[in-house]
Amino acid sequence: MADRVLEIDRVSKRYGSVAALQELSFEVRAGELFGFVGPNGAGKTTTMRIVLGVLAADAGEVRWGGAPITFATRRRIGYMPEERGLYPSMGVTEQLVYLAELHGMRAPDARAAAARWLERLGLGDRGGEQLQKLSQGNQQRVQLAAALLFSPDVLVLDEPFSGLDPVAVDVMSAVLREQADAGISVLFSSHQLELVEQLCDRVGIIRAGRMLAAGSVEELRSGSAPRYWVDAPGAAAGWAGEVAGATAVRVEGSRTLVELQTTASDQVLLQAALATGPVREFRRDTPTLSELFRSVVTEEPAA
Amino acid sequence: MSFASPERAALSPRRAVYLIARREFATRIRGKVFIIGTIVAVALLALYAVLQLAVIDRINTTTTFKVGFSGSATALAQPLEAASPSLGFKVHVSDIATAAQGRSAVRAGSLDALVDGTPGAPQVVVKTGIDPALQAALVSLAKQNVLSADLSAAGLSPAAVESQIDAVSLRIDTLQPATAAQLQGPIIGFVMAFALYLFIGIYGGVIGQGVVAEKASRVVEILLSTVQPGQLLLGKVVGIGLVGLIQLGIIAVCGLLFIVPTGVLALPGAAIGAVAIGVMWFVLGFVLYALMLAATASLVSRVEEVSSATVPVSMLLVVTWLLAYVVAIPAIDAVSGGAVSPGLGTLTTVLSLIPPFTPVLMSIRMAAGEVPLWEGLLSIVLVLASIAGVTWLGARIYANSILRFGARIKLTDALRRSS
Repeated sequence: MADRVLEIDRVSKRYGSVAALQELSFEVRAGELFGFVGPNGAGKTTTMRIVLGVLAADAGEVRWGGAPITFATRRRIGYMPEERGLYPSMGVTEQLVYLAELHGMRAPDARAAAARWLERLGLGDRGGEQLQKLSQGNQQRVQLAAALLFSPDVLVLDEPFSGLDPVAVDVMSAVLREQADAGISVLFSSHQLELVEQLCDRVGIIRAGRMLAAGSVEELRSGSAPRYWVDAPGAAAGWAGEVAGATAVRVEGSRTLVELQTTASDQVLLQAALATGPVREFRRDTPTLSELFRSVVTEEPAA
Repeated sequence: MSFASPERAALSPRRAVYLIARREFATRIRGKVFIIGTIVAVALLALYAVLQLAVIDRINTTTTFKVGFSGSATALAQPLEAASPSLGFKVHVSDIATAAQGRSAVRAGSLDALVDGTPGAPQVVVKTGIDPALQAALVSLAKQNVLSADLSAAGLSPAAVESQIDAVSLRIDTLQPATAAQLQGPIIGFVMAFALYLFIGIYGGVIGQGVVAEKASRVVEILLSTVQPGQLLLGKVVGIGLVGLIQLGIIAVCGLLFIVPTGVLALPGAAIGAVAIGVMWFVLGFVLYALMLAATASLVSRVEEVSSATVPVSMLLVVTWLLAYVVAIPAIDAVSGGAVSPGLGTLTTVLSLIPPFTPVLMSIRMAAGEVPLWEGLLSIVLVLASIAGVTWLGARIYANSILRFGARIKLTDALRRSS
C-alpha cells in the first residue's frame, strides 16, 4: 500500500502567454481523500486533465506507485470531468457498461458492477432510461458511477459536489469516504470549503498555478500565527499592542482578537489581560478552512 | 461499501476499436438515418418497379380503332383490317350507308374515323384529330391503290411487282456488336456512382455529427482517458461505415429483386458485378472521406457548426459528382457506338486516377468495362496510399482538436500543436 501514491512532481503548463501551472507538486496517498481548493482559474482542472493524460504537461511528471504514469496505468483512474460528459440519448446502464468495458472489464462483470452502483446511488430502477431523461443531480450520480464502477485505484473528481442537493451531497461524501477507506487515492476539487474541511484528510490550496499550502487542516492551522479571543471589559483601548509580539487584529465591543507571533507566549498575553481587570473569555481561535484559504490566497503576492 | 476488484484484462488496441465500433454500430442501426432511409429507398424502388411494369403493360396493350367506310372507299376496309396487325393496332371496320350517317357517328364518338371518297383518294372524317398510325396506314393503302391501277393500266401485274418489292431487303454488317451488358454497364455504373456519392455524403455527415456530438457533450474527455484518439476515430469510421454498407446492401439487393422481373435489366449478372465493384469503392471512398470529415469536424465544438467546418470536404464530394457526368457520358457514348474524342478520353482517365475522385468515377468506368487492369490496380493503390496519408493527417488534426473546446480551431494550429 505504501507505494501506491499519486505524485504530481513539478508539473508546468502554459497556454500561450499564460502560465497555468508553475512547478506544481503534491501527492495523494493511498486511502487518502485529498481536497483541491483554489480560486477559479487557479489550475485545478488543468492539473486533473494532465493526471488523466487528456492534456500533456510542458514539464514535470505524474507518477503512480513511483513510476511515471502511462496509458495503461491511467486506465485505473476513475475520472469525473468538470464538464459532465456522457451520451445524452444512450441508456444509463448501456453506457456504464460500455465505459467499464473500455476500462478493460468484461461485459458480465461490467453489467453486474453497473447494477450494483446504480442501486448504491439510488438509481436502481433508472438503468433502462436515456440519460437525458434524468434530472441534473441524477445525471451526476450516473457520472460518479461511471468513474467508480471499474474499481479504479485512483479517483480524480473535478467539482463532484457542484449542483447537488444536500441529500446527494451526503451520498457523494459517504461514497468518497468509503472509497478512500478501501485504500483508493481520491483527489477532488471543490469550492465548498466546509465540506472539504469535514471530509478531507489533506487539503491543497492552489493559486495561479502554484501550491500555496498542502497538508491536513490541522497542519495548515499550525502554519498560521495563533490567534486568541480575549474579553477584558476593563481594559483600555489598545491594551494588546503593549504586549510583546502581540497585535490586535479585530475589536468587537469588549472583545479583542489578538494575533501572537510564534515567539510570543500566550501566558504573557493572559497576564496582561488580567492586569486590566476581569477576564470573561480567553480562547484560542481555530480558523476554519475558509479563513485559512482567504488568508493564504490574499497574503501571498500574485505571481 | 466497497466491491472486490474484478479481474481486468488489459485493453488491447483492437478491442478498444471493436468496442467503439460496436457502440457506433448498435446506436446507428437503430437510428433515423438507417431505418427511415432504408424504408424510403426500398419504397421508392418498389414504386419504380411498379411504374415500369405499368408502362410495359400499356405498351403491350394495342389500341383498337373503329373505322367506318362508305361509298367506294369500302374497298379499303378489307386491306386495312389485313394490314393492321403488322402496324401495331387493331381495327374494327364497318360499312356505313351514307356519309352523313357516318359523320354523325364520328361526332357521337361511336366511330373513330369515317373513310369516304374513292380508294385512290379517300376522304377521312375524324372528330378532333387522326392517330398518326392510322393515318399512315390509310395513306399507304391509298398509294398502293393508285399504284396498282397505274400498273394495270401499263399492262403489268400488280401482284408480281408487289412480290418483287417485298423481296428487297437491307443487309447489315455490324463491326462491333453491342451486347446488352455493354449498353447497360455504364448506366448501372452511373446509378452505382450516384449511390456512392449519396452514401459517402450521408454517412460521412453522420461521422462528422458524431465527432462533434461527443465533443459537445464532453464525453470525449472520459473516452480519451482510456482510449487513444486514433482508436476512437477508427472505431467510429468502422462502426458507422458498416451501417452504411448494410443499408447500401439492402437497397442494392431490393433494387435487383424488384427491377430484374420488370425486364429493364437484360443481364442481372452485369448488375451484380457492378454492385461488387460498387461495394469495394464504397468501402475505400467512405474511409477516405470519413477521415477527412471527422478531422475537419473536430475543429468545432458545436453541432451547428459541423456543416460549415466540413465545407471543403463536402465541396470536394460535390465536385466529384459533377465530374461523374464528364466520365459517364463518354463512357455511355463509347459503347453505344459514338466515337470518344481523344482529349475527353484522356481527361476521363486522368480524373478517375486522382484519389478523391477515384471511388465515384472508377465505379462508372469499371462498370462500363473500359478500364485496363493496370489502371484499375493503380487507382486502388493510389486510394489506399491517400487513405494512409489522410489517416496520419486526420488523426493528428483530430487528436489536437478534440479536447480544445470553444471557438473554432484553425487548421494550421491543429496541425502544428503536438500536445
